[in-house]
Amino acid sequence: MSIISKDRDSNTKEWIKALFQTYEAGLNGQSNQPIAAFKKSAFDQLMTEEFPTRRDEDWKYTNVAPIIKEAYKFGTPSDLSQNEFDQFLFEGLDAVIVAIVNGVLDKNLSKLDRMPTGLNMMTVADALQDEEISSKIQNLVDQKGGTDKNPFLRMNRAFAQHGYVIISDKNAHVEKPIHFIHINTGINETYFSHPQLFMIGSKSSEFSVIESYHSTNNDAKYFTNAANYIQVEDNAHVHHYRLQFESKSAYQITNSIAIQARDSVYSNYSVDLGGRIVRNNISTEHMGPGVNTHYYGAYLGLDNQHIDNQTFIDHAVPHCESNEMYKGILSDKARGVFNGKVLVRQDAQKTNAYQQNASLVLSDTAVMDAKPQLEIYADDVKCSHGATIGQLDQESVFYLKSRGLSDEGAKNLLQKAFIGDVILNFRFQPIIDKVLAMVDAKLSKK
Amino acid sequence: MLKIKDLKVSIEGKVILNGINLEVKPGEIHAIMGPNGSGKSTLANVLAGRDEYEITEGTVDFFGKDLLDMDVDERSHAGLFLAFQYPVEIPGVTNATFLKSAVNAGREARGEEELKPIEILKLIKAKAAMLDIDPSFLKRSLNEGFSGGEKKRNEMLQMAVLEPKLGILDETDSGLDIDALKVVAESVNALRSPDRSFVVVTHYQRLLDHIVPDYVHVLYNGRIVKSGDKNLAIELEEKGYDWIKEEVDAITA
Repeated sequence: MSIISKDRDSNTKEWIKALFQTYEAGLNGQSNQPIAAFKKSAFDQLMTEEFPTRRDEDWKYTNVAPIIKEAYKFGTPSDLSQNEFDQFLFEGLDAVIVAIVNGVLDKNLSKLDRMPTGLNMMTVADALQDEEISSKIQNLVDQKGGTDKNPFLRMNRAFAQHGYVIISDKNAHVEKPIHFIHINTGINETYFSHPQLFMIGSKSSEFSVIESYHSTNNDAKYFTNAANYIQVEDNAHVHHYRLQFESKSAYQITNSIAIQARDSVYSNYSVDLGGRIVRNNISTEHMGPGVNTHYYGAYLGLDNQHIDNQTFIDHAVPHCESNEMYKGILSDKARGVFNGKVLVRQDAQKTNAYQQNASLVLSDTAVMDAKPQLEIYADDVKCSHGATIGQLDQESVFYLKSRGLSDEGAKNLLQKAFIGDVILNFRFQPIIDKVLAMVDAKLSKK
Repeated sequence: MLKIKDLKVSIEGKVILNGINLEVKPGEIHAIMGPNGSGKSTLANVLAGRDEYEITEGTVDFFGKDLLDMDVDERSHAGLFLAFQYPVEIPGVTNATFLKSAVNAGREARGEEELKPIEILKLIKAKAAMLDIDPSFLKRSLNEGFSGGEKKRNEMLQMAVLEPKLGILDETDSGLDIDALKVVAESVNALRSPDRSFVVVTHYQRLLDHIVPDYVHVLYNGRIVKSGDKNLAIELEEKGYDWIKEEVDAITA
């Protein structure tokens, strides 16, 4: 390891240390609470870890140096009005609203009182007081995930201010989703925030969680470092939406780690429209047979955006299925990365694993790196992957123009359709409508 | 409406159309027939504005304007519609969304007020009902996974919604079973009006049992070598194209 990177790490660790000491000083006698130990252990571990560089295989295409060189501050509550907030709501979506502004829970803007039956939400601090839930949380944070050199998980745990646990009752089928709306309003301050969610789908239950990320100012620079831990128990189904509409100068790193028990389903729906540097790590480990895992991802990068999706599915047991579909568009000087790892262990016979990554690269200066990575040690499996990089189909442009669409209109519609192919798999029409409207807005602003 | 004069077209130096003359008046249906490779589809594609062809001579006048000088979308705005031989599949955009975009693009270009989504949807549903098309059709991705018959039926729906002045059917009947073929024919008949015309390009006489043309033209070696009424199509069906080829070849020899 070079001296430069050591220097870089020590600078970063200095401001991290200072921030953590400020937090500890503010505990005021709460330091004997389990949450304090939970954070402290993460902080201690973080101090021993190195931040990744591009020499690390899992971070080859994404340089985190610009992200960690900033000295961030915790966000402060803002005076975002109800009217200003309402523009971020998804029209027609009946959801429990959790408003998090600059990383701070805004109780007035949130609508927490309309929790559907069968679903429970509590803070991580409270959940750690419960022995059973606490051990589940501990087990989840001990998961390694699919990405080596990942101190961002510890950083999240050390600094998360409003971590939540969502846990369903057994057999509960909950239609109404919980929608976490994260909004950055800082423009003169460089905030960082650490959204943290534990989703626990109890036996034979089903529910949906949506996280969406927004900014009131498209030039605002800030860092969102999110962590999601998902435990799907026997025969349960958790739907997890991550809709990223950050400002064009924002940094975001998201880690989502799922473990699935037998006959369970985990569906992850991910959209990246915003962000200057975005890294999305997602991993799933199969613990019992009959498991299904779905990853849907869409991305649209313009200007100098950098969007990196890193997926890992660990097929450890027989008779499981995984299905990954990532599609995106890159133009201007944008860069996209898809690294899809699938591990089929020797015991995982009768595995079906499908992976698809398709990108449109629409300018000479845009770049896409696609890296499917299948490691198969079982002999009776069906695995396939396809990575394609192409341009808009001229015959389709002609077809649409012959129906009256302008050249630009036809090209925009085809781009929207390309991404729409992923989005149409989403389960809530208001989400589909919102995402497609955001895609439209972004394409027509060009 | 449409006046084609001495139209000559090449592709990569090879002459495909070698002097086409054709006039279509409002309300008329013209059938263009001919053996494989005679230039039928080229004619349809040149009229629609496909740009891989080189137009070496001739003019095409559409309502007093130079059609060949218009961009593909402008031709649509002016009232031209090509039903494709092979409609493209576009996953990720529903039929309804696509039709909304197409209707409003045309209205905007003509200086008409844009229709609200709900108004367009009403219009589309009415046209679907007229053509006996199930409304679930509208929610499906554009042509994705459609059978051959469904694709052609979708072309007819688009034509009904866009209400062109001139509809060109490029071998729309090729490969269709009799039921799908009847749907296409019924659609054209339903859209027939005194100010709307059709040019039906076909390889087979069968379609013309259901869409009765006013004129039948035979294309051979890039020229219209014979014109007549619907009886010419019946004669072609009975005798094939060879007798025409022999006639023409005898003259040019």
